[in-house]
Amino acid sequence: MFMVPLDGRPQALVALHAACRMARAQGAPWLAVQLEAPFQVHYSPQEEARRMEQLRLAERLGAEVVQIHPTGFRAAHEVLALARARGVTVIVLPRPRQPRWLARLKGDLVEDLLRGDPGIELRIVPAEPVAPAPAPQAADLDHPDPRRLVTALVAVALATAGGLLIFRRLDLADVAMLYILCITVVATRYGHWAALLASVLSVAALDYFFIPPRFTFVVQDIRHIGTFAVMLGVGWVVANLAERIRAQTRLALERERHTGALYRLGAALAEGGDAQAIQERVETYIRQALRMPALVLLSDRKGLLGPRTAEDITLDPEELAVAQWAMENAAPAGRGTRFLPGARGLFLPLVGTESPVGVLALFHDFGSARNGEPKGLPLPLALAAQISLALERARLAEDRAEARLRADHEQLRSTLLSSVSHDLRTPLGTITGATTSLLDPGPEAAPGDQRMLLLTIHQESCRLERLVNNLLELTKLESGQVQVRKEWVPMEEVVGSAVSRMEEQLEDRSLTLNLREAWVPLDPVLLEQVLLNLLDNALKFSPPGTPIEIESWVTASQAGLTVTDSGPGFAEGEEERVFEKLHRGSRSASVPGAGLGLAICRGIIQAHGGTIKAATRPRGGAQITITLPIEGAPPELPVDGPS
Amino acid sequence: MTQDHPLVLVIEDEAPLRRYLRASLQSFSYRVEEAATGAEGRDMLLRLNPDVVLLDLGLPDGDGLDLAREIRGWSRVPIIVVSARGKEEDKIQALDVGADDYLTKPFGSGELLARIRVALRHSAEVAGSATEPVVEVGPLRMDFASREVLLDGAPIHLSPNEYALLTVLVRHAGKVLTHRQLLHEVWGGIASAQPTYLRVYMASLRKKLESDPARPRLLITEPGVGYRLKV
Repeated sequence: MFMVPLDGRPQALVALHAACRMARAQGAPWLAVQLEAPFQVHYSPQEEARRMEQLRLAERLGAEVVQIHPTGFRAAHEVLALARARGVTVIVLPRPRQPRWLARLKGDLVEDLLRGDPGIELRIVPAEPVAPAPAPQAADLDHPDPRRLVTALVAVALATAGGLLIFRRLDLADVAMLYILCITVVATRYGHWAALLASVLSVAALDYFFIPPRFTFVVQDIRHIGTFAVMLGVGWVVANLAERIRAQTRLALERERHTGALYRLGAALAEGGDAQAIQERVETYIRQALRMPALVLLSDRKGLLGPRTAEDITLDPEELAVAQWAMENAAPAGRGTRFLPGARGLFLPLVGTESPVGVLALFHDFGSARNGEPKGLPLPLALAAQISLALERARLAEDRAEARLRADHEQLRSTLLSSVSHDLRTPLGTITGATTSLLDPGPEAAPGDQRMLLLTIHQESCRLERLVNNLLELTKLESGQVQVRKEWVPMEEVVGSAVSRMEEQLEDRSLTLNLREAWVPLDPVLLEQVLLNLLDNALKFSPPGTPIEIESWVTASQAGLTVTDSGPGFAEGEEERVFEKLHRGSRSASVPGAGLGLAICRGIIQAHGGTIKAATRPRGGAQITITLPIEGAPPELPVDGPS
Repeated sequence: MTQDHPLVLVIEDEAPLRRYLRASLQSFSYRVEEAATGAEGRDMLLRLNPDVVLLDLGLPDGDGLDLAREIRGWSRVPIIVVSARGKEEDKIQALDVGADDYLTKPFGSGELLARIRVALRHSAEVAGSATEPVVEVGPLRMDFASREVLLDGAPIHLSPNEYALLTVLVRHAGKVLTHRQLLHEVWGGIASAQPTYLRVYMASLRKKLESDPARPRLLITEPGVGYRLKV
């Protein structure tokens, strides 16, 4: 359990955020303790406002808020007592701002806690964001670059050499002009530090080499001081002008980069796709175009960010907690911001028009500023806004597609229901009718009638059983409950078991088996199901007594099987649709069935990674062809003795 | 009905199915007793000492599988389990804990009677612990003493594994044997033995014993469960 004391000072806010982050990273509860100052009865309006703000924030961030009114001069005892009573393991505190001696004198909670040997872990967080290293562009601006200073030195040396050359023939004023030229050139090309150095050096060189008495720094004529002042002044002004131009150029370049980046991101986002596609495209784009590692974290329907990793970046739980915080509070967090400034990444919330959609994590230094917003933030923020909209659009599209799918599903379900209820009722009606006439035979009932009725009942029951089995099988297939357990099985065995199960129905048919010896990885139970359905169809859709053929073949990568009957075959253009659920061939009106058999076959074969096709043989007869992939090799067999 | 007729104990919760079983079994002069729950079935089993038990795996008061395991703990009475289609796992488990055979709902009376006959014959053999030196199954004649196999009177040459496999099947003729049972009987404790071995030797046995191996009459595949030598 974490605890953070709030004493109304601004630093406490930082500790509050830190405690929230730590607690979330560990999934632990946390306690915010508001301390009333012992001797202070009235707070200034500002202090009161700050206290209220901290209290509200703590509540919003999910802390349990407790107020204590210390009775003694120092609050540390009360805080520790409460911490021990509540089983607090970590107390989060801001670093004290005032010098140690002053703290000792005035009394400071942190100092007191530290001194009191609390027996509870104290975690001190920096009171202000840690200033990260300035951005690289800023470097040449704020700090003199030694190479540029050397260049300035060389330029002044050259000007001096030039001056020495022309000094015999020309005036001192011309030499001064030469130096001013030198300063201007240095200022425009190498920045104001170099220009300032060049000005000073020029003045010194002019004095030393040209102003009488030459080769000393002594100035005899007071007027020459004016020349020096002019040179320094010119140097200063030119340097500042040049600097301003450079700044404007930089700004223009920055804007250009900004616009370009946004434009190209817009183009990348315009490709559409689902949220995952956008996520990947954005990451790739930022990595390539902006040269910084980036992650897009998507929130799930419950508003939780899913973990995500790139090739070189893995978020630790604390960073994920910061990202979550950034999204929930719709505020940037992480590197360079007020919240976890030491993190590797900057976490920008991706907030759509209606709800948060995720977080953009950028692993780059955007500089920092006192107000808690990194300097280089406008571009990432603009990117984030665009990404948010694209993601939200994708989310909405997904929702719509899902709704449509549900509607289709409903439609299918009702079709299935009406079709199936018809198919269930017909045999049930026959059975009920036959049994009542058996139970109550008329006076004229012929002796053969009884057996005929019983046969009818038997046939209709078998039909019902097939239908119910198919329905169950299809439901299992569609709900993904069917697991394909592939084993290496000889094709012959699968065909054999299906054929022997149908032996009774196949009695009056000539069945030709033309099987190639082949071991195929398949699920024997499911494949038997397919063959039973295909044989059942062949029996139903071809005239009694006509032949049926089963043929198999094998190549290196697949095995094939065809079942052919001698019926009318499929109507033209129907070869694809016969595999659809509830589709009944236009030539099957007189044949009972619900249109489930081939749909089941396709489901099973596709689950095997195979294909199933329907065709009509040129000389007539429906032909169903199955292919199954053969991957790997059958396991090694033990050595057997001689036959 | 005399005491000589075998007694079948039906443990089945569905009354219509019990009625059908009673009618078809009595018409072939079996004596029939019915139990609607597992607990009742256990009591009757102890009291009546039946010759065969028909046990539904989907009983309301607990798992039929557990009951089968329990019965096997103290009785050698043949158990034929009854279960719905598509529950191959249940069947294999029941067979592996000691059930003798299974029937898949719905089943015809011919199938039911055939299973009961096979079960009764095997239990009689076990009781007399008679290991016949010569067994005949359909066109097949196996002489265990001379290790001779004849098909329609003609000698058949088998490899040691084929012979071992056929022996197990013939000894349990008519009964289903799971992959595990067969692997255990033929290869004993070889851990790497797998169903593929069985399939290889079954395929070569079929080549030698069946006129058309793709339409076997003797060596029947029970998909997902195992094999059966048809009697």
